[in-house]
Amino acid sequence: MNSKGYYGKFGGQFVAESLMNTLKELDAAFEEAIGDPEFQKEYHYYLKQYVGRETPLYFAERLSETYGTKIYLKREDLNHTGAHKINNVIGQILLAKRMGKKKVIAETGAGQHGVATATGAALFDLECTVYMGEEDMKRQALNVMRMEMLGAKVVCVRSGSNTLKDATNEAIRAWAKRAEDTFYVIGSAVGPYPYPKIVKEFQSVISREAKKQFYEAEQRLPDVVMACVGGGSNSIGMFADFIEEPGVELIGVEAAGKGIETGEHAAAMALGEIGTLHGMKSYLLQDENGNVQLAHSISAGLDYPGVGPEHAYLKDSGRAKYVSITDKEAMDALMELCKLEGIIPAIESAHAIAYAIKKAKTMTKEQSMIVCLSGRGDKDVHTIADYLAGKEYLN
Amino acid sequence: MNRIEEKMALLKEKKEKALITYMTAGLPDMEGTKALIKAQEEAGVDVIELGIPFSDPIADGPVIQDASYRSICLGTNVTKVFQAMQEIREEGVNLPIIFMMYYNTILHYGIEAFAAKCKETGVDGLIVPDLPFEEQEELQDALKEQEGAILIQLVSPVSKERIPVILEDARGFVYCVSAMGVTGQAGTFHKEVTAYLSEVKQISKIPVMMGFGIRTPKDITPMKDIIDGAIVGTHFMQLLEEHHYSVDAAKQYCSDFKAGLK
Repeated sequence: MNSKGYYGKFGGQFVAESLMNTLKELDAAFEEAIGDPEFQKEYHYYLKQYVGRETPLYFAERLSETYGTKIYLKREDLNHTGAHKINNVIGQILLAKRMGKKKVIAETGAGQHGVATATGAALFDLECTVYMGEEDMKRQALNVMRMEMLGAKVVCVRSGSNTLKDATNEAIRAWAKRAEDTFYVIGSAVGPYPYPKIVKEFQSVISREAKKQFYEAEQRLPDVVMACVGGGSNSIGMFADFIEEPGVELIGVEAAGKGIETGEHAAAMALGEIGTLHGMKSYLLQDENGNVQLAHSISAGLDYPGVGPEHAYLKDSGRAKYVSITDKEAMDALMELCKLEGIIPAIESAHAIAYAIKKAKTMTKEQSMIVCLSGRGDKDVHTIADYLAGKEYLN
Repeated sequence: MNRIEEKMALLKEKKEKALITYMTAGLPDMEGTKALIKAQEEAGVDVIELGIPFSDPIADGPVIQDASYRSICLGTNVTKVFQAMQEIREEGVNLPIIFMMYYNTILHYGIEAFAAKCKETGVDGLIVPDLPFEEQEELQDALKEQEGAILIQLVSPVSKERIPVILEDARGFVYCVSAMGVTGQAGTFHKEVTAYLSEVKQISKIPVMMGFGIRTPKDITPMKDIIDGAIVGTHFMQLLEEHHYSVDAAKQYCSDFKAGLK
């Protein structure tokens, strides 16, 4: 990453002039904080005592046996609030407090980041507003209730596709209005610099732990590390400590929705068109006029037309490979994990499981992989029930 | 000399304040947009900002978001707006026209091809609210190569030490955003707006225009001695909508506003 916040040709700061000084202040405050042992101590205290880290690196015995290679699951689903999102939220909220902000705002798709932000705001007594698309509020009603119980105000966004993209637009607008006393907690590895850097830093705990745990179990490095990619926060955290290990194959799994060929998908990198959205230059789904195209995925958390700039760079440089999994493949894998391991994964994470199963078939019994199980599936039971009943799901 | 710069020089000579309007292209349809441009030129509008609708207008409030959405649904795209530009220039419209648009539309079109097309069809300037100073190099290079359209610089009440840097090579006029956030928050200017405008005026070598939240000449009375003109966007769009895009209503509003600036 260069001084202007670019990863290769991706990243940057495509925001209104009025936010440029805010981003500069944020970058300075972040760099100072992560260099401060007191901040680190506090952050790690809350990760341990409140979030419940470290999370297990679980050897999925029956899954491994069925598909013929060693599969380890990094259990981010066991975190407080049910997904990896809380790792980043605790870091950003401590930073917000340090900067003297009294209010936080956030966007949310599946609701996991919204719930995590509402949780952190309750814990540190900050006023919290979460922007959520109307469509997502319908399919993730349980998470809306959780956010409200935690004292957050959930603002229903009715513009464009009524999903994560539009919730993010609205959060950026609100932030531009109130940046003086409000901190914007971005949930994915997206947005203008320094956000992709901040989110990576606070999610990299996933790979730091996993690398150590894997070494304890196998006394070596894994052959493959895999995670699902929407905006790319769990995956960048899962990749972080392995990027400098050339022997480890990194695979990101995007959502192919009903299939790339149908046009109804969320695989921003599959088509390879570059654009600017939400303050960053990256791969972006767009139509023939350069308008952002609606993403589609059965999983609300992957339903995003762009992708974090570092992923775009990892793809271009060839360091990571990006593949995609359809709704159906993800749902089959979800049921498979339930039956074989007694784990109900989030539909997002099921995309990674689905590709892990495909990949395992090409690997030997001695080889091994780590799959990031980014979240648990409790929030998805209605979507899963509808899907199994053969009903057309939302969006 | 660019049409915007010519107009600014003329206004200075006549000691007049500028009236700049914004409207979303393609509403009620492209013919209607062309008629409205002609009507405004007759009514004495100095510069028109023509909004190229984009799916994700993050610098705009609900009124312009809604207008953009409707215009996209009607099939408006940048190619059609270029076509309309070419036609009105051929039909003799000579006032400066600026495209107000988001960067992705330019990137998607191709930066160099876009700059060339601006020159070819008589687009005089660009306002790109999601392209801050640090990200402008590629677009500036392409525009300079063409010597056609110029990039208008925006400053905000919190730009502070960035102002001199942004204004160093700025051309045409400076767009002073008078409120934080998005377009269309009527009458709620930033609390230190007067001090901020004075600061910009002191530094700027080119005219200083104030935009965001202006409805009538009265709104800018307290800043009248500082600024060189006003930009009316959201309120103008609301007025057009209320009067079903009537050219007479547009004319009336613009000539009254221009008179009120005297």
